[in-house]
Amino acid sequence: MRVTINSIEELPALAAKITAQYSNKIIAFYGDMSAGKTTFIKSLCEQLGVDPTEVCSPTYAIVNEYEIDNNQLIYHFDFYRLNNEKEAFDLGYENYFYSNHYCFIEWPEKIANLLPEKLLKVHIESVANKRIFTIEEIKS
Amino acid sequence: MTKKSITILGIESSCDDTSAAVIKDAKILSNIVANQEVHQSYGGVVPELASRAHQQNIVPVVNQALKIANISKDQLDAIAFTRGPGLMGSLLVGTSFAKSFSLALNIPLIDVNHMQGHIMAHFIDEGQKMPEFPFLCLTVSGGHTQIVLVKGYFEMEILGETIDDAAGEAFDKSAKILGLQYPGGPLIDKYAKQGDPNAFKFTKPRVGDLEFSFSGLKSNIIQLIQRERKKDANFIEKNLIDLCASIQHTIISILLEKIDNAVKKTGITQIAIAGGVSANSGLRNALLKRESTHNWNVFIPKFEYCTDNAAMIAIVGYYKYQNQQFANSGITAKARIKI
Repeated sequence: MRVTINSIEELPALAAKITAQYSNKIIAFYGDMSAGKTTFIKSLCEQLGVDPTEVCSPTYAIVNEYEIDNNQLIYHFDFYRLNNEKEAFDLGYENYFYSNHYCFIEWPEKIANLLPEKLLKVHIESVANKRIFTIEEIKS
Repeated sequence: MTKKSITILGIESSCDDTSAAVIKDAKILSNIVANQEVHQSYGGVVPELASRAHQQNIVPVVNQALKIANISKDQLDAIAFTRGPGLMGSLLVGTSFAKSFSLALNIPLIDVNHMQGHIMAHFIDEGQKMPEFPFLCLTVSGGHTQIVLVKGYFEMEILGETIDDAAGEAFDKSAKILGLQYPGGPLIDKYAKQGDPNAFKFTKPRVGDLEFSFSGLKSNIIQLIQRERKKDANFIEKNLIDLCASIQHTIISILLEKIDNAVKKTGITQIAIAGGVSANSGLRNALLKRESTHNWNVFIPKFEYCTDNAAMIAIVGYYKYQNQQFANSGITAKARIKI
């Protein structure tokens, strides 16, 4: 799926479309700094029932946790600060990825070899003032 | 009759740094953060990221804190530890250590909220002036940006916080965009001193009165650089000090605008800052200037109590001890926890 977004107001509709169309709980977000990864994750979290004011950048924390009503969690990762994949082992990434909770992953490039085989890839590209979203389901 | 003094060991392991501190009443006897020195003398490891490094560092760090404080284990009255917020794996190390240590020594266990710790660092007694209640505290670090109304030692209310990036992150990521190393916040501060803060204009975020947003600034800087580099490939190199000065000026004006709003809303002019960004000279100077221009009372803690440290956990422990607010041994770490 390829979608062009002209303004931030169009993000909730895209978030609704993605959650309706795909059942993947693990989603990796690719895009340069300032492409809008965190902003779009905020929309997705809201769609899933999280108060959007709780969603903020996990760059420093590496993982933020948000609670959805029915005891489901969303783990919001940012691997930007990682120097190597060993550091992902050190923080116990597998406990999160295989927890059956949602995992939204920013900077998945940093842990390319550790990503689960099945996942949804969301590419965000910034072109002029628009954002082009490309959604790709990896079934392994 | 003199009151018996209270000695507490504080443990902090919420994110990257493992730290231990010993406090006697409100005075810090030692405050150790895992670093090269600990590594050399006790065989711990130099921390990279939040990681299992905490496991290797916790015992050496605690040993060194006790040694420097010249306190033996059996002189401790309680163990205080960071329960959250933070990274689960990191919190677990401090939590399990504190629980077992308190059980082994048969002394009370005290759980501490890391964000409360940042604010309470102002009450570490080093003979400095301390804020009086109620006061406003701006907590600014790599992971947090919030304005808190502090009504009492344990009565705090978040008035506003960031909706996206933290202020420290804004500094670090701006530095990265300029090709400086990550985290480069301190470099921006350094170069900013020589540059023109009004050389480049960045748009201010449109968010609520007491909310912060810094992610738009990133886009602004990237757009400016992409545009200008088409004309001159050496744009960054030629304008580095002015870029740094303008970025720093923008981040600080955003912070100040929100504090101004909070002052207007609450009528409180006692302003404290906390968190690692308190080290930024531009922010310190801007706040201190307001002492004379706006008649504020500004409080800035010593730098070692601004970044993540166990001294701030120990001081909370001291106040909770006096209230007999102890945790039971079934307590668990919590990644998400509000003030």
